[in-house]
Amino acid sequence: MTYKQEELKKGIKLHTINTDKFKTNLIAVFITTALNRENVTKNAVISAILRRGSKTMPSQEDISKQMEEMYGASFDCGLDKTGDNQVLKFYIETINDNFLPQTGEDMLKTSLEKLLDIVFNPFIENEAFKSKYVEQEKNNIKQRIEGKIDNKAKYALDRCTEEMYKNQPFGLYKLGYVEDLDAIDGKNLYEYYKSLINSCKIDIFISGILNENIPSIVFENENIQKLQERTPQYVIPKELNKTAIETENVISESMDVTQGKLILGLDVCINEEDLRYDVLIYNSILGGSANSKMFQNVREKAHLAYVASSNYLRYKNNIFINCGIEIGNYDKALSLIKQQIEDMKNGNFTEEDIANAKKGIIATIETIDDEQDTGITYYFGQELSESNISIEDYKKRIEKVNKENIIDIAKKVFVNTIYFLKD
Amino acid sequence: MQVIESLKVKEKVYIEKLENGLTVMIIPKQGMQKKYMIWGTHYGSNESSFVVPGETDITTVPNGVAHFLEHKLFEQENGTNSLDVLTALGVEANAYTTNDHTAYLFECTDNFYEAMDELMDYVQHPYFTDENVEKEKGIIGQEIMMYDDYPEWRVYLNAMQAMYHNNPVKIDIVGTIETISKIDKNILYKCYQTFYNPSNMAMVLCGDFEPEAIIEEVKKRLINTKASGDIKRIYPDEPDTIVQDRIEQKLEVSQPLYTIGIKDTVDCDRKEKKHIAIDILLNIIIGRSSKLYKELYNEGIIYAQPTLEYEFTNIYAHALISGQSPNPEKVYEKFKKEVANLKENGIPEEEFNRIKKMIYGSYIKEYNDVADIARMFLGDYFKGINSFDYLEDIEGITVEYSEQILKDVFKDDKMILSVVKN
Repeated sequence: MTYKQEELKKGIKLHTINTDKFKTNLIAVFITTALNRENVTKNAVISAILRRGSKTMPSQEDISKQMEEMYGASFDCGLDKTGDNQVLKFYIETINDNFLPQTGEDMLKTSLEKLLDIVFNPFIENEAFKSKYVEQEKNNIKQRIEGKIDNKAKYALDRCTEEMYKNQPFGLYKLGYVEDLDAIDGKNLYEYYKSLINSCKIDIFISGILNENIPSIVFENENIQKLQERTPQYVIPKELNKTAIETENVISESMDVTQGKLILGLDVCINEEDLRYDVLIYNSILGGSANSKMFQNVREKAHLAYVASSNYLRYKNNIFINCGIEIGNYDKALSLIKQQIEDMKNGNFTEEDIANAKKGIIATIETIDDEQDTGITYYFGQELSESNISIEDYKKRIEKVNKENIIDIAKKVFVNTIYFLKD
Repeated sequence: MQVIESLKVKEKVYIEKLENGLTVMIIPKQGMQKKYMIWGTHYGSNESSFVVPGETDITTVPNGVAHFLEHKLFEQENGTNSLDVLTALGVEANAYTTNDHTAYLFECTDNFYEAMDELMDYVQHPYFTDENVEKEKGIIGQEIMMYDDYPEWRVYLNAMQAMYHNNPVKIDIVGTIETISKIDKNILYKCYQTFYNPSNMAMVLCGDFEPEAIIEEVKKRLINTKASGDIKRIYPDEPDTIVQDRIEQKLEVSQPLYTIGIKDTVDCDRKEKKHIAIDILLNIIIGRSSKLYKELYNEGIIYAQPTLEYEFTNIYAHALISGQSPNPEKVYEKFKKEVANLKENGIPEEEFNRIKKMIYGSYIKEYNDVADIARMFLGDYFKGINSFDYLEDIEGITVEYSEQILKDVFKDDKMILSVVKN
């Protein structure tokens, strides 16, 4: 496996991952832009409207037929919140030529061209996106925004985040707001699209069995040629300057649920980037694995939950604790969870816990190259945070963490918000 | 050792049936860091009534025992829990229960043999006490309640209620609070002894392995058990008819969720051929490039590609079309109409070939990840299928064969609509 990156133009990068581990080639285009209330909804509609057609494949049906014809190329798009950025993600996955029943097809080149066409050469009528498509996709996004209540556990987590980051970019919902959809039409959306595409950060990832021509094929592609140089507008998730809040925020809301969903949003008040490795270990011991305090004490010993875990969000330095409990057990569960956080501060964990956590994290890092999409996500994370840490370095930094480091982290962990979804 | 090679996907599977009846399959993947091991028993929520080999009376147990066993096997006599031990080794361990099998697995980069020791030890050494069985009821109770809050699960399970009169596919894999309350250690031991005999089990290893060497490692860790005779599985009689063509449940959701179910009969031979044909048909009817999808999308009746699947075990088979829509009745009506239209006018050759290419690609993609490969081989094995057969058989699927399947399977009186809405 070899990873390389090169700047095609200022603000536009090509990343290649040459690997023969897979039956497929995976290409991704990531459009990164600063998250804000003004544009969040528009970006969501953009990511949906681009699927509706390009100049060479003017309808959704044309795109689908083309993809099917290419042995079921999977074309997919997503929208992510990464730190204070919104990332529009476009993927195409095709079978590598070695596994096609007929030879002589250059599937990689074709799929690259098709994907770039969809993202950078959309179907336009009279200097506007087709208004029928825009109205349909607005409705589509509306349904998806309203659909956030359908997955109750996910909804509780989203609500907790929203409360913790009131009036801040990260508190925004990644698909935007229903009330902001009204003002969007084909014309202003296209104007916005043009400005977005000429000011955002663009990263193109190609993973698979590649030949040395790939960079020149990308560079010479006419859709890439059309793009201007730019100083991309996005937020590098480095300095966080977090301080502990005075009093915890306690929120409880009602919905038609059988099981209560309890979320604790924690602030990790550190400002040095290198301490994030220590936090990874801290989180693993607190609730990141089956050996963790949460799993052992809340699930296995107290039998209060089936799901009892925690997650570290490194771009924002938050940990979210997540539990599904019987509604009547709220007080019991909450005090038990808080006890776990306290125990971490008091150093009530063993060298064995630390060693186990390290093994788990290192095993995850070692498999990065074994999963095509994980590889891309890893290198994109590095790109975004302007860090350049090899997998070997990463492992070394994890190895170095000791008990004192973890207790130091524990002392900087504060409960920010307790959110409970009940009936 | 038997070796089967697929020239299409350029992979090999090494298969050996050991003296004690255990089937071991190895799919070597050179150069992969990740190693995956899965050990399964042909025993899932389908099996509630059976005759233990050597006995004559029928044993009937409460629903949810297979899944309960899955939870409890991790517990060891020395007080440790194997999930903790495996996690401490830095391996990702898990287990799951389906309608027709239960499986224990881990994925790792380092400490493979230590993890193999632990996995093979705990699966072969059950330890149930009154106390540890009682404790589990609380945790599984929360798991059951978690599923109650998943509308996708409700709409699916309700579809089963509408299609099946007696078949155990209609019961929840985890059981209910009421049925699990009746489970005790004696029931668990009895089911364990019956279904965890090596002759009822299969193991798959996928990763950078040398087949001959790894099979020796497996043998070393097996305790001395004799292959038992056939387990007689008793399933209730299931009429071909559906129960009711509509079923509805109220839950707080943004948009109604729907599942259209088509009840099929179980065919014993060439199940995978039928599976391929039905996958092709579903895509022709309502797939991304279909006329119907376009029409429904433009009318705002659906806003994403519905999930299309054909599910089957040795005792049931059905096709499912699921998604969200403001008007599930309309989706159902138009779906039926499109089926009738295809029956009358035939399947266009061009469309058929295009979808076939797509399905072929989707099979190739299954071979990227060691976990996907191992799970696929295990699941297919218990259905009596070698996973490579899908790649071999797809070429021979013709328009005529698919039209026949369309007539045989997609019948109006075998269809149901399940809806979950506000």
